[in-house]
Amino acid sequence: MHNKPLRRWIPFLLITGLLAGGPSLSGSPAFAADPAPQAAAQDANAFTGKITGKSNKAKTISVEVKGKNEFLKFDDTTKGLEHAVEGEAAIVKFELRGADRFATSVEPKLATLPEGVAEMKTDELAKLIAMGPAEGNYVLVDSRPAARYHEGHIPTAISLPDTVHVETGDAYLPGDARLKKTTLIFYCGGFT
Amino acid sequence: MSPKSAGLAKKMGHTDVRVFLAGIPAWKKAGKSVTASEKFVQTGNIVLVDLRSKEEYEAGHIPKAHNIPMASLAAKEDSLPIKAPVVVYANTFLEAQQGYNLMKKWGVKTGSIWPGGVKSWTDKGNKLATGPTPASISWTRKLGKNEVSLAEFKKAMDDGANQLILDVRTSDEVKDGILKNSKHIPLDEIEKRVGELPKGKEMLIHCSTGARAEMAKAALDKAGIKSRVLIADVECEQGKCEITD
Repeated sequence: MHNKPLRRWIPFLLITGLLAGGPSLSGSPAFAADPAPQAAAQDANAFTGKITGKSNKAKTISVEVKGKNEFLKFDDTTKGLEHAVEGEAAIVKFELRGADRFATSVEPKLATLPEGVAEMKTDELAKLIAMGPAEGNYVLVDSRPAARYHEGHIPTAISLPDTVHVETGDAYLPGDARLKKTTLIFYCGGFT
Repeated sequence: MSPKSAGLAKKMGHTDVRVFLAGIPAWKKAGKSVTASEKFVQTGNIVLVDLRSKEEYEAGHIPKAHNIPMASLAAKEDSLPIKAPVVVYANTFLEAQQGYNLMKKWGVKTGSIWPGGVKSWTDKGNKLATGPTPASISWTRKLGKNEVSLAEFKKAMDDGANQLILDVRTSDEVKDGILKNSKHIPLDEIEKRVGELPKGKEMLIHCSTGARAEMAKAALDKAGIKSRVLIADVECEQGKCEITD
């Protein structure tokens, strides 16, 4: 019983150390969501990935890490459970209790933006949409898979899934956007 | 991922590139609506609702649409299948949005708006239908690719030759009743106990709604065990269980 608090802290300290000493995120401008620092964190009792499920009855969270689902238990002491939302990217830190992985905290995984790209907030976007693409001089791009776009997208958005974008470049953008003077706004299903 | 696309655009020489990082969830949370595409209205497995007056509807509406005039929408809560993707349209976006907001409040899971109503529909070269609205709204969910139908599931309760029902509810829940021909392993023990499952049988996984069953399926996939999931409500009381779609 005596050394329990210490056991709980060791993984946390390890992670903090790794993150602080990890590679800088501004290193690769085009694909700044570099997996390297996450991979380091995976080893140190933390999973970074999409939350694929949460059951309050079974007190279990599942996280998709490298295409596989990992299961963790949680309890009343788990911090940040409100961030364990299905479909959202999160960092789940855990400790081992016997053979079980217990989530100690859940944090939202914030995406890092490529150099020279600024975030747009909801209010600002709403104002532009009220003006419409012509007057607001913008093209809003939905980066999610096309099926997602079809069932519901932000008004005035066009569909250009990131996978298609990589293959076709900006050929799918409207002509005026290809002149590169238009504000291009990308979005997807949350902080991923 | 939108940041990836933004990086690509930047590389291609676009100067003003932004990312709405919070994305769709934040947009909806802020009380704003999303719009459906033309293709989704044409071919999606949806419930389409025309919020205009009866006269306007009968004179010309988008095919498949049901007429629920805005004024009577509040009283129609029970006639809408909340699991269905509901697409609404009206004469103005504002009216459509009012209907959308109300349905969201009822718990409609995937609601959206067809913007521009019948005008944008015909502008895109689509035809309108005429006449009275169908008597009732019917909608059948299409099975997902990992899903077992309730009918097939019930058959497996009587004949376990090739299939076994896997119950992943908690031990407490199981005290109130368990289905025939089923094996119980709580979700949080699945990973450790997959070895107990018989080889060569397909597992049909259920819980009380389907959410935990889907989580369990991931564990079975990992272990290379064939399985499908029942998305339905399973309620047990005093040894008797009821399954409803």
